[in-house]
Amino acid sequence: MIARYVLGAFLAVVMLVFGTTTYVFLGTRTSHVAEIPQKPTVATPRAQAFSMSGTLYIIQNGALYSLSAGRFHQLTPEAGWTMPSLLPNGTQLVAVKRYPTFSDVYILNRFGQPTKRLTSNIAPARNTDIGANHWSFYPRVSADGKTLWMSYDQPKFGYDVVMSIWALPIGAPIRQGKLWTNAADYSGGDVQPIPVRTGMIYTKYTYGPDNKLVGQLWFTNKAYSAGRALTTPGEDCRSPAVSPSGTQIAMICTYEKQISYLMIASWNGATLGARKGIITNQLVAQPVWAPDGSGIAYLAPGAPAGPFQLWFLPKAAYAPAPTPSPSPDASPSASPTPVAPVKPVQVTTNNGFDATSPLAWG
Amino acid sequence: MAGGLAYFLPAAQLAIESTGQVITLPTPSPTAVLFSPTPNSPSAAPVTGAFTVLLLGSDDDSKFSADHVLTQSMILVRVVPSTKQVTMLSIPRDLYVHLSTGGSGKIDGAYSYGGPGAAMATVSQDFGVRIDDYIWVGLLGLVKLIDAIGGIDVVTSHPVIDDYYPSDIYSRDPYSYERVAVLAGPQHLDGIHAMQYVRSRHGDLQSDFGRSQRQQQVLMAIRLKAKQLSPEDLPALSAALGGELKTSIGLSKVAALLPLAASFDNPDQINQVFLLPPYTHGGGPGGSVTANWGLILPLVHQYFP
Repeated sequence: MIARYVLGAFLAVVMLVFGTTTYVFLGTRTSHVAEIPQKPTVATPRAQAFSMSGTLYIIQNGALYSLSAGRFHQLTPEAGWTMPSLLPNGTQLVAVKRYPTFSDVYILNRFGQPTKRLTSNIAPARNTDIGANHWSFYPRVSADGKTLWMSYDQPKFGYDVVMSIWALPIGAPIRQGKLWTNAADYSGGDVQPIPVRTGMIYTKYTYGPDNKLVGQLWFTNKAYSAGRALTTPGEDCRSPAVSPSGTQIAMICTYEKQISYLMIASWNGATLGARKGIITNQLVAQPVWAPDGSGIAYLAPGAPAGPFQLWFLPKAAYAPAPTPSPSPDASPSASPTPVAPVKPVQVTTNNGFDATSPLAWG
Repeated sequence: MAGGLAYFLPAAQLAIESTGQVITLPTPSPTAVLFSPTPNSPSAAPVTGAFTVLLLGSDDDSKFSADHVLTQSMILVRVVPSTKQVTMLSIPRDLYVHLSTGGSGKIDGAYSYGGPGAAMATVSQDFGVRIDDYIWVGLLGLVKLIDAIGGIDVVTSHPVIDDYYPSDIYSRDPYSYERVAVLAGPQHLDGIHAMQYVRSRHGDLQSDFGRSQRQQQVLMAIRLKAKQLSPEDLPALSAALGGELKTSIGLSKVAALLPLAASFDNPDQINQVFLLPPYTHGGGPGGSVTANWGLILPLVHQYFP
């Protein structure tokens, strides 16, 4: 009789243990799709990843990080920071700090300390209209360090709020700024200004011939002039990045689909040359050229439909291979050594970088 | 077994509560003949024939009473398993139609007047399409669903800037506004930002039509992400969707559809149809959109034979 009780208790314990174990086991079997990305400082690049030259600035969850010598450093708290860009002196950055209803542009030192606020976009204290606030995005500083270029949501047309390109002296109020582009109504507007030697390249969103909203790269060298298109509506391009030599432009084109290609084209200061697709099998975003010309960094998911990781494409993947000089003792019948295609390197694996924020690399 | 039952119990509970909803057809209904009185077959046999589902999305925030919400999003989906073709037709929410419950009005009110049955019957009678089932998702449900699957990857077509976006999800005052700026390009969106992207319409020249295009982009992104899920994710998903999902599709049919959904992997086999001008034009009664049925019906019958 006692043995029966003991057996019952034993089986109850076994059931409890197995039931709990099964429950916990099933919990561990969940897919990793909803995992929260790790901070870059926790998940440093894989040991086998090569060290990228210089210092790259990147955003995750509203914090600015630097990546140099293979290590990430968190420069700011997670407080709405985005869109870093290096000043010409290479020792300072401009970046946007985004609040719930407005954003401002700041100068930061290379350690992430804000040293100066360049815009004042909060609505006046007595104005209760939420639309009296403003957005500034995509700040860039001219090569002479004197002019701030940015996308700014002025003028506004009631419900139709579009971004336009503005230029203003560094540290000056917006009333001293100059409106450079005339954004298309109800399109999102003009963004991503890149000052170049001959003028300014930017992305204009507009309705294409098929009535779809598309992005196009445009170039202008005159204030309040849209200038002229560098890409066609059908290419649907955005995120221009000029190479250190100033002779090539990288950009993201989608051809009006839910895909994205990393394209490069030659640039002569006025027109773009033939396009070349160099990444065509990833959802690629925010290309930036290495300052030493060794390749292009970009963001793309590490797994299908996942958060964006940092990738690097070595120059050998897209630059024409140098023609070898004939060796005097080479046999004329010798066949060339097959060259393995150069693939992009996934630098990080468990992060979730902000794919709407350009990268800065210097 | 006890551990497994306990683990999947929340998902099973939600599945039983949410699926197989009885469709109440308004009476008298001119389209009653289009519907089977027993829409949910108990059989779990593989789905082989083409079928049509009406997807409904509602603002179900505190501005509305639970059973009387408008359907801000109405997408008619036809699936042909044999050819793996999917067609998605977005119906403008402001389309002025004859309502199955009587009278005329904007089509987004059909659900409010008579529930999913009225929404299905209205679409069915006006577009001449047989609808097999419906799926209804609340606003918060979509936000939670996208968060539960870890966000989605979308190429947002343009900057969505809205100075007067309704602040009715987590705000104390559901009539207040917030400023929204969803930037353009490839990105990983969480639930709130995906909702802002699909819901904003103030800065879009095409208003609801532009919004419909964005809704279809997000739907396809959810489908892509869902392929990464495993059965063990069901409890988390059910927790996210509790009370925010209703469907007439029976549990057994859901089980039969899952492998079918996973087999659709070619985006080129998904047709997206929008009723832009000249199919519709503005200026209807009460700010509604007027249909050009002479153009719409041949188009609809082409994709929904």
